[in-house]
Amino acid sequence: MTPEVRGRGWLTTRGQAVPALFVGRAGQAGLTIDPGQARSLSALAGDALTVVSSRTRLSPLGPVPITASLLLGGIAPAATGRREPEARLPLEEARRLLALAPGEATGYELRLSDPDRADEVARAAAAAAGLPVTTTTWQQANRPLVLALRLERVVLFATVFLVVVVAGLNLAATSAVLVATRSADAAVLSVLGAAPKAIERVFVAAGLLLGAAGTAAGLLGGAALAVALDRTAAIPLPAQLFSLAHVPFRVEPLDVGAVAVFSLLWSYVAASVPARLAARLPVTEVLRAV
Amino acid sequence: MPSDGAGPLLRAEGLAKGFGPPDQRVQLFSGLDLSLSDGDFVAIVGPSGCGKSTLLHLLAGLEPPDAGRVLVGASDWTALTAEGRASLRGEAIGFVFQFHHLLPELTAEENVALPLLLAGRGEAEARRAARELLVAVGLSGRAGAFPRTLSGGERQRVALARAVVRRPRILLADEPTGSLDAAHAAEVFELLAGVARERSGAALVVTHDPAWAARCSRTLRLVPEGLEEA
Repeated sequence: MTPEVRGRGWLTTRGQAVPALFVGRAGQAGLTIDPGQARSLSALAGDALTVVSSRTRLSPLGPVPITASLLLGGIAPAATGRREPEARLPLEEARRLLALAPGEATGYELRLSDPDRADEVARAAAAAAGLPVTTTTWQQANRPLVLALRLERVVLFATVFLVVVVAGLNLAATSAVLVATRSADAAVLSVLGAAPKAIERVFVAAGLLLGAAGTAAGLLGGAALAVALDRTAAIPLPAQLFSLAHVPFRVEPLDVGAVAVFSLLWSYVAASVPARLAARLPVTEVLRAV
Repeated sequence: MPSDGAGPLLRAEGLAKGFGPPDQRVQLFSGLDLSLSDGDFVAIVGPSGCGKSTLLHLLAGLEPPDAGRVLVGASDWTALTAEGRASLRGEAIGFVFQFHHLLPELTAEENVALPLLLAGRGEAEARRAARELLVAVGLSGRAGAFPRTLSGGERQRVALARAVVRRPRILLADEPTGSLDAAHAAEVFELLAGVARERSGAALVVTHDPAWAARCSRTLRLVPEGLEEA
């Protein structure tokens, strides 16, 4: 848990000013501003900037804003996922700009070993504070990205579903061609004493074998692609908007299992129809046609 | 030799078969009676298109007659389910086609072993029986050969071995030498007669060649009214 101090004010240099949200954190050395702010101010690293706080102090001339002159240490996007650009500065400077006493803070940042418990911890923290406090979890801070990824997941699942359905129809067509080309063999098996169920099983097995091979190849290829896309950060995200640097790809065993089961079931259905026809071929007509 | 020991092995009573819609019906034969007993080696002759192959299909239970019935032992084909017909056919009927109809992906040994495997026998037993039979038909060195590498005569011998590997009570052969040259035809016919005697109860051979028919113990001519002695 680390304290942070947030305030509003302006960044000024060489007669130019931009409104800014400034954040003081422990461990922050010097002033770091967002690339957009740097562009607006035409500021470069090493320039002297003045941070003007919205808080005032009383002076013989009346209330004057609290200011701090700092050297620009770096230009980098914030990693908090907030849409608003932030100027980051040492914690003590932020306290001084907001006229806070040493040890005081406007908020605390909690880093969890299990990020999925953020909501639960936020509720517990708010209750423990005993004061009316506002909590913001990483999911709330990144809501647009989380919603986009959730939507993407649904769309991807629907796409995979359609791909599997189309593949199943292809398998049905392949099985139908197999039955058409091997009808004489099916007829011969029938003459040799193979029961219709046995002939049906042969063609279902052939279809299932094709389906299983396709499913295995698809799952292995898909998993390998997901790992590769994740490791190579193939789809980067705009750093100004999101705290995630790229779209994450993760192979979920449950998803893989669901796709595998659905694919195999669909393969069975797709192969069953032509197989049933093969088992009911008019043997004598097939033999006459050969 | 597998036989129920009493009565004919196969009996056809009042068989009729025709093709086409009712207003353009082509009647092949009607009122056909036939009885095959243990040891019979019968030839059926007749002109092309008279229904010889169709008669074999009816006798093998591959299609139903328009009228009449076929009994294999005491079992009537039409009284059996599809599964029952398949089981009886595998057990009681051996069928040799004019063309070999071997499965191209299987070796000669595997083709011969196939009926035993379909009957649920173990692979080792089926392969051993197939090898023995291939020796009997003169193909001891060709057990591992695929059909595409066999000559026409060799393929027909493999098909013959496949037809009798389960020691069927009745062997039905549809122009078994029709696709072979004279030399190979003679070899295959001799072999057919031999295996029919040794491994089958009765044999019925459809042929259009009077010379082969004369080698059978009895020759019947198929006419629209049924079968008559030739």
